[in-house]
Amino acid sequence: MTFDPAIAAFCCNWCGYSAADQAGSAKLEYPSGVRIVRLMCTGMMDPYYVLRAFERGYDGVLVVGCHLGSCHYKSGNEQARDQMGRVAPMLRALGLGEARVHLTAASAAEGPIFAAETNAFVERVRRLGPNPLREAAR
Amino acid sequence: MTDKRKVGVFLCHCGGNISDVVDVKAVREFAEKQEDVVFATDTRFMCSNEGVCRLQEEIRNRSLDGVVVACCTPKMYEDLFRGKAEEAGMNPYLLEIANVREQCAYPHRHEPAKATAKAKDLVLGQVEKVRKLRPLETRTATIHPGVAVIGGGIAGIHASLLLADLGHKVTLIEKSPTIGGNMARLVKTFPTDDCAMCTLSPKMNEAYNHENIELLTYSEVKAAKRSPGKFALTVLEKPRFVTDACVACNKCTERCPVSTAKAPTQVDSEWEMGLSKRKAIYLPFPSALPQLWTIDADHCFYFQRGGKCRICAMVCPAKAIDFTMKPKEREVEVGAVLVATGFQEYDPGPLKHLAYGHHRNVVTQMQVARMLDSMGPTHGAIVRRTDGKPAASIVMVQCVGSRGARGDPLTHEYCSRVCCMVAVKHASLIRKAQPDTEVYILYNDLRAYGKGFEEYYTHSMELGVKFVRGLPGSVRKEGERLLVDVNDMLTGRRLEIPADLVVLSAAMEPSPVNELLAALHLDKTPDGFVKEYHAKINPTETAVKGVFVAGCAQGPKDITDTISQAGAAAMSAAVFLGKGEMTLNPLVAEVDPALCRACDRCAEVCEFEGVRVDPERLVAVVDETACEGCGKCTVVCPTGAITVRQFRKDQILASLDAMAPMAVSP
Repeated sequence: MTFDPAIAAFCCNWCGYSAADQAGSAKLEYPSGVRIVRLMCTGMMDPYYVLRAFERGYDGVLVVGCHLGSCHYKSGNEQARDQMGRVAPMLRALGLGEARVHLTAASAAEGPIFAAETNAFVERVRRLGPNPLREAAR
Repeated sequence: MTDKRKVGVFLCHCGGNISDVVDVKAVREFAEKQEDVVFATDTRFMCSNEGVCRLQEEIRNRSLDGVVVACCTPKMYEDLFRGKAEEAGMNPYLLEIANVREQCAYPHRHEPAKATAKAKDLVLGQVEKVRKLRPLETRTATIHPGVAVIGGGIAGIHASLLLADLGHKVTLIEKSPTIGGNMARLVKTFPTDDCAMCTLSPKMNEAYNHENIELLTYSEVKAAKRSPGKFALTVLEKPRFVTDACVACNKCTERCPVSTAKAPTQVDSEWEMGLSKRKAIYLPFPSALPQLWTIDADHCFYFQRGGKCRICAMVCPAKAIDFTMKPKEREVEVGAVLVATGFQEYDPGPLKHLAYGHHRNVVTQMQVARMLDSMGPTHGAIVRRTDGKPAASIVMVQCVGSRGARGDPLTHEYCSRVCCMVAVKHASLIRKAQPDTEVYILYNDLRAYGKGFEEYYTHSMELGVKFVRGLPGSVRKEGERLLVDVNDMLTGRRLEIPADLVVLSAAMEPSPVNELLAALHLDKTPDGFVKEYHAKINPTETAVKGVFVAGCAQGPKDITDTISQAGAAAMSAAVFLGKGEMTLNPLVAEVDPALCRACDRCAEVCEFEGVRVDPERLVAVVDETACEGCGKCTVVCPTGAITVRQFRKDQILASLDAMAPMAVSP
């Protein structure tokens, strides 16, 4: 049986979330393991959410904001980038590796980019295999 | 929250869009079993009258204090459902949407079983979030009915007139001594060759005399304070040193010693683009409004030589000269601000190969506009600046400072949009007035995109204007003339065109108004112009509620487009003001004073001055009118004291956990 990764996708209201809507409206497909959590801005993306997601068994965490320079709130996506940079060494230390986390951008009009980024990320996580914490809990 | 909640779940079939993929009945049965869910139903169309009535009925009958609607994206009907829930007596912020159409039925339509499982998760995620939500209060603020228009060019004048006609009190603020802006410098306007002043002057007069317009000239906005529904602008009125008693007799200007033939102080006329000199006491141009003379203290001998010269005061029959005048600050309170600060012509000096500023016979199109004016410095003749002799050969150069390479610090990457037609206009006017004059236009691409432009361009060729595709490599002096070296891309030949006058079609760049933009918290697009709310569908509003933008402040455009946009901006402002009150977004940050340690990190990351530490109480205080609710502060707060309503950590985690593969550990 193929492994269907569970992905927590944190999307900002203005770009990532709307891009996902656009991808859906355009009937672009991506695996059903993706669960979107709506944030107003990736600036409110707390590194703790990443750790919590892995603790709860998600296999990967995707964060989709606005393109740099186009943040609805000027610089929230820059803070997200910095915070995700901080969480990377923690993930390495936990043995999860940083490849299970991906920060990207898709504007409200970029449904195809959302779908492509999501598909590529899910594929990467599929190759990485299930979240080791989830395996350990079994 | 330990209290039991009463949550209702409403599942929409979306006429099959959802129910053809997702087993809605299975999701409903799943939802019914969840904690605090007292009721679940499914409907063919939730957004229909029937669906909405059902929602309201169930809220009333079951006293629901939480609702999840599983339907299309919240961007479609979240507002509708929240509004209807409020009508039915529930706090609207206790309703959430589970996006089972765009996020589930559509992208997973080939996997119905998995889509159904995911739909259950999405519904549960929102049920769990709703269980954590708290009722929010929406506050409203009265909007001040007044409006400030900043910039007295054609955009500002047009917008002011429309708003004033609608009955709004308009304060029109202009930094120079007169209104009129750049349009007043243009002798004719393309593509109709209308006299610019004949169309502008009546509007200037109307604005000047309108009972609802207060005109503040020679004034600048120094600071702006935003509070709910109101902007308090601090306007600095510079001293003219001439009182309202001025009778416009011009005797002062006639006798002022500055810029006379032998005077050591020579002042270039800003109005004439440096083609002539002006006195230290002056009226910028004959039909300037208000008709009030102004003393330029930086060049006036009274101020520069310790009060020795008082000639103007002596000759003034109205005793209107007052050397003691001081700058005046005043507060202007308004509900909306319309930014119409216009453009300035690019200075081609840094482009050395074009020799502007090096050879006096290299000029800009704006200078040619002044030459073409029969009232202007050359009385309508196109002449060499060096000796005043008529120019027999004129070479115009396009895209000077526009359409440069990306990252070139000397030029702009954007197209200034008007220069092609400006060159065609000036070339045609010159050919008509002086048919013996050769006029060349060296261009890269000629853009004649507007109504009547192509015909105008074609007509210029009939008038004998010569078009050469290629931009010059150099402009150099040869005897009394200039030699323009250009590679004609269409013939492949290298041409050396002798010219008496080289005219540069210099770019439009934004007026230098950084201070104003900072005061109003406005952003710029990478090209330096004011950033509009949305470049495509909302080009007249800005990200700051109540601030609107029009004309070249937003980007290069011609007069037709400027008028259209100024009208649209005035309409947007009128609609905003007309509502009379605004709802303040409740989804902003709030601080738990018990947890706050006044470390100031929230204020450090805030882009909107939405939070600051009260130095007395030593606690962070949110300015709910300034906070945009982005939540950057919530991440950097070391104690979790600051949160964004509806996006509190426990609320976000509730959905994350509910949709997670592993159950929450006990």
